[in-house]
Amino acid sequence: MIAKLTSSERQTAVVIVLLVAIAGIAMAAAGRNAPLGVHGLVVILFAGALLYSLLSAFYAPEPTEEREESYYDDPIKVGIVLAMAWALFGMFMGVWIAAQLAWPNLVFDAAWSTFGRLRPTHTTGVIFGFGGNALIATSFHVVQRTSRARLAGQISPWFVLFGFNLFCVLAVSGYLIGITQSKEYAEPEWYADLWLVVVWVTYFLLYIRTLARRKEPHIYVANWYFMAFILVVAILHIVNNLALPISWGSAKSYTIWPGVQDAMVQWWYGHNAVAFFLTAGFLGMLYYYLPVRAGRPIFSYRLSILSFWGITFFYMWAGSHHLHYTALPQWVQTLGMTFSVMLLVPSWASAGNALLTLNGAWHKVRDDATLRFMMAAAVFYGISTFEGSFLAIRPVNALSHYTDWTVGHVHAGALGWVALISFGSIYTLVPSLWKRERMYSPALIEWHFWLAIAGTLVYVFAMWNSGILQGLMWRTYTEEGSLAYSFLDTLVAMYPYYIARTLGGFLFFAGTAIGCYNIWMTIRLVPATVVSEADLPATRAAPAGE
Amino acid sequence: MAIEERDSVTGRETTGHEWNGIKELDTPIPRGVLMFLIVTHIWAIAWWFFVPAWPLGTTYTKGLLGVDQKTTVEAQIVAAREERAAITRRLESEPYDTILADEQLMTVVRGAGRQLFGDNCAACHGTDGRGRAGYPDLTDDDWLWGGGPELIEQTMRVGINSRHSDSRIAMMPAFGRDGMLEREQVRNVATYVYSLSNPDYSTEQNVATIEAGREVFAANCASCHGDNAAGNRDMGAPNLTDDRWVYGGDLQTIINSVHGGREGHMPTWDERLTTTDMRTLALYVHDLGRRQP
Amino acid sequence: MPELFHRKLERSAIGFVLAIIAAASVGGIVEIAPLFTIDETVEEAPDMRVYTPLELAGRNIYVREGCYACHSQMIRTLRDEVERYGPYSLAVESKYDRPMLWGSKRTGPDLARIGGKYSDAWHVAHLINPRDVVPESNMPAYGFLGRTALRTDELADHLRVQKTLGVPYTDEMVENAARDAYGQAAPDSDFAAGVTERYGDATEMSAFDGVATQLTEMDALVAYLQVLGRLTEAAYQNTVAPQEAPDPND
Ligand code: HEC
Ligand code: HEC
Ligand code: HEC
Ligand code: HEM
Ligand code: HEM
Ligand SMILES: [Ca+2]
Ligand SMILES: [Ca+2]
Ligand SMILES: [Cu+2]
Repeated sequence: MIAKLTSSERQTAVVIVLLVAIAGIAMAAAGRNAPLGVHGLVVILFAGALLYSLLSAFYAPEPTEEREESYYDDPIKVGIVLAMAWALFGMFMGVWIAAQLAWPNLVFDAAWSTFGRLRPTHTTGVIFGFGGNALIATSFHVVQRTSRARLAGQISPWFVLFGFNLFCVLAVSGYLIGITQSKEYAEPEWYADLWLVVVWVTYFLLYIRTLARRKEPHIYVANWYFMAFILVVAILHIVNNLALPISWGSAKSYTIWPGVQDAMVQWWYGHNAVAFFLTAGFLGMLYYYLPVRAGRPIFSYRLSILSFWGITFFYMWAGSHHLHYTALPQWVQTLGMTFSVMLLVPSWASAGNALLTLNGAWHKVRDDATLRFMMAAAVFYGISTFEGSFLAIRPVNALSHYTDWTVGHVHAGALGWVALISFGSIYTLVPSLWKRERMYSPALIEWHFWLAIAGTLVYVFAMWNSGILQGLMWRTYTEEGSLAYSFLDTLVAMYPYYIARTLGGFLFFAGTAIGCYNIWMTIRLVPATVVSEADLPATRAAPAGE
Repeated sequence: MAIEERDSVTGRETTGHEWNGIKELDTPIPRGVLMFLIVTHIWAIAWWFFVPAWPLGTTYTKGLLGVDQKTTVEAQIVAAREERAAITRRLESEPYDTILADEQLMTVVRGAGRQLFGDNCAACHGTDGRGRAGYPDLTDDDWLWGGGPELIEQTMRVGINSRHSDSRIAMMPAFGRDGMLEREQVRNVATYVYSLSNPDYSTEQNVATIEAGREVFAANCASCHGDNAAGNRDMGAPNLTDDRWVYGGDLQTIINSVHGGREGHMPTWDERLTTTDMRTLALYVHDLGRRQP
Repeated sequence: MPELFHRKLERSAIGFVLAIIAAASVGGIVEIAPLFTIDETVEEAPDMRVYTPLELAGRNIYVREGCYACHSQMIRTLRDEVERYGPYSLAVESKYDRPMLWGSKRTGPDLARIGGKYSDAWHVAHLINPRDVVPESNMPAYGFLGRTALRTDELADHLRVQKTLGVPYTDEMVENAARDAYGQAAPDSDFAAGVTERYGDATEMSAFDGVATQLTEMDALVAYLQVLGRLTEAAYQNTVAPQEAPDPND
């Protein structure tokens, strides 16, 4: 892969990696006896590993082929592999913490293995590690194909990919050694946050410059979503993470937002992390891989416009539904609630657009588990957005908030939508990226599909039950008007569901493991095919103008 | 202008663009979607009219209903309190004996008491009230301060060694650590105390130790625990002759108690629970003990 | 026709970017900015205290351990919550909280008013192993807190940054941060007097972890838990909450 860089590009890459290593050394020196020092070491090791692979191919012959005549797929391949690796890690952590809630002694007698520290390794591992890598990889793929242009950079795609993974590694290792801001989904500390800004700006520039090279005058819908994802995540990330470190030599910082304002900013961020990370980006995937796999045109271009702008506009108002009945002023809650309900229309419009696109291809859905993954994802997307809008209604939220119902909703979206659409896309992508005829084993894809569906259903039903039960128990009154249950009564009632959830999660995890095996064997064993004519960028400017 | 084509399945025209094989149909937005959009908007706008919704610089629209979540919940609480008033008044003002004799009222006490106990007391005394090392069993008839409802209420209200100004004080000195007794003496007196609830222990080989301990006890402990070690409820000094222990009745634990002293802390519930709640709990706890054989 | 316009927009990447930024910015601005301009957002509470250095250190341990993953610190304006946990939380009570720890999941009970509910000894026993005191619990054991000495060398930096951000710490408080942390957990030591002088008589002075001679993370965390809900009385005033000082005659 490095052989495809010119020697001056290799030099630049070495310089960048060295700069990162120097930053690592500075961190290690500044935080000698503190957690920051450990992070310095992590950075040095990360940079060291990259440097090693760079130098080992440093004197390889210059690339001979005319690079511009092919798509730049190497970073995508690495991104897919990383996504699957993070999926394994993050879901394993999910199963572990699920088990901890049922059997609290499943820990080591050490700080790092307690629930509070492991939980964010799960959320970060799956959302950013798995989801983020899948998004970066697929967005690189989609933007090239739909623009018929090669990525507008040789090193920057690698910088984005590895830079992002360095962020994820810092995040996850940080929680284990006690570095966290305890801001949900934004836990990493200030220096990791700053680093992500650099990475993300590069990502944006790369994306927009590639779009600028497109040979098709119109920008395809999938790219609208990817652009919204990149842009809005940047805005959210920067605003929510504004903080002052206690000193340059310390990992610890204090956010600039106090109390109630912090709550609003945090959930404006948190909710829209869902919207633009877990939704917009994955809709980008859906809008590309589903029609490709189904071989059908998108059902309605006009519906695409309505849902895209609806989602982009309405979502940003909805964050306060995480703060119903709290010390946040009620007027903000009303806005959060009403916009959440209006948001249902564009959300269902995208789900509907996807499902109606399958008209004329339902026989394929029956036979092809990969396409079925994407179909099921669209269904779960519809379910979880309906559920979300329902939960956003104040009286409903009075019952659901703080309970497992939220967790059930999260995983209907996360497992049913985010993970399924990713797997469907990845199964579509892998053979074409590695130029293989097909996946190693269609039967294993079937297995994965059914394990994933079973796991999701068991998980979500368990949490619906436990959440609603607990919410009801908390507010049940006796005939004489006193509370009927103590908190401990409700806790005891949760155990059977916690066990069921662990089982469901394990099934899902097992499916993922099978998927990894299948992908691995595809790369190893399935014979290669020739590159098809269609899978090449339009190198000669051939304006298809209007 | 790109050429539009017709999709054979739906009969719709495409938009005429193509991206790596993907085309789009020019299907108009379905009516239902637009209707749905309108309905949700009307619903939203209605809310904006009726409840607080839009910020206006330094204030916000208050809504036609004039409601606010704080006043709403307070009104609900007041209403609920009024609904309960009949029972509450009886629980608060009637003598404990009358309530105890009223099975109907005691059913209420057992219902409300169970939750109150579970949320406030169970952390220390256990959900069943049986306590654990350091936290006394409230279901037996062995009381540090007394098991009548009045006394229990008083214990709850002021706490034991708590920050309440009238707190009950339970102070078992650290005889060993603070050098009031020699190692040997601590051992002796502990052995003596142990023998009180374990008569079998007074074997020939122990009898000398026990006798020595008895003397130490008379000189140092009787002032609190009483001459016959049966305890003193004015000081919260436990009865040392039965087999019910706060901290534990094995020889080593008794040695620890005498060596290091004991100063259990029971918080005050004065500011946290209402009089009704406290009286309910006092009855509930008293009742727990009564039901025990 | 909107489509015509949209077709144009689709042809300009920069235009599209600007349109997305415009569409996405409105909601946040309208909902966040007024929280700074509408005065009643944060109630008045003249009696509001600041966290002592030890309590702040404890809060940071709470942050570090991710307790918010299981515990909320936000009693909502709902009857059952008020009756179970105490008066609903006010915005002013988390005025100095960075970050706020309202939480989003209650695997364990709300902790907004946990201060003073239990004894220090109970907290220590519970944190060392929750199932020793509450057999039904699924909370993790935090025995290591009692074995780890509290770092105090950076406490002054912590207070200084908080001061920069608007928390009313005085220079004297900043200077004496480490000293005061020791003092609060060693009530009989020479360091103790300054603590109440600077932070008020309501400050809880105690050998929180049961040992006055060493300052551990356990001391700090318990000190923090014991101050939760007790920085101001505001929540108990002008409310019908049942926890209002009871009047036997009513
Ligand atoms: C923080 C732990 C804790 C909590 C919570 C607690 N207690 Fe206690 N309680 C104690 C301890 C410790 C003692 C014994 C004090 C001693 O050893 O002198 C005690 C003693 C008592 C006694 C006196 C027992 C006797 O033998 O006289 C009563 C009655 C009592 N508690 C009732 C309650 C009730 C009712 C509640 C709930 C409202 C409650 N306790 C909550 C720790 C607690
Ligand atoms: C100043 C009064 C006082 C004196 C003197 C005193 N005790 Fe105590 N003792 C107490 C109190 C009060 C308690 C209960 C402490 C608590 O529960 O927190 C207690 C508890 C105990 C216990 C623990 C009981 C249990 O249930 O676990 C033992 C054993 C004991 N005392 C033995 C002695 C002996 C032996 C002596 C004399 C050497 C002695 N006490 C002297 C007040 C006293
Ligand atoms: C896995 C979830 C979980 C985590 C993480 C957790 N707790 Fe808990 N916590 C619980 C549960 C469940 C209870 C109720 C049972 C009990 O009292 O142990 C509880 C109870 C408590 C209580 C007593 C509350 C009451 O009103 O009875 C306190 C105080 C507490 N936890 C503090 C903490 C602190 C501090 C941390 C972090 C260092 C923490 N918890 C982490 C689950 C958790
Ligand atoms: C119309 C779309 C949606 C709306 C209106 C919505 C609304 C909500 C609501 C009301 C909550 C509960 C907040 C609380 O009580 O604490 C919630 C939580 C959550 N939702 Fe959704 N949801 C939507 C779609 C989705 C989707 C597609 C996902 C994808 C994964 C998702 C992920 C989450 C997550 C992760 C949380 C948990 C946040 C937390 O407390 O940590 N949501 N959502
Ligand atoms: C093997 C599959 C999985 C299992 C067993 C699992 C398990 C868990 C558990 C036990 C929790 C903590 C719930 C609690 O605190 O009560 C959790 C939280 C969460 N998980 Fe998963 N998870 C899995 C997969 C995923 C995936 C694939 C995603 C996202 C793509 C995801 C996103 C989240 C999020 C956002 C939360 C936080 C929810 C909240 O705060 O309300 N999970 N998960
Ligand atoms: Ca952060
Ligand atoms: Ca959450
Ligand atoms: Cu949300």
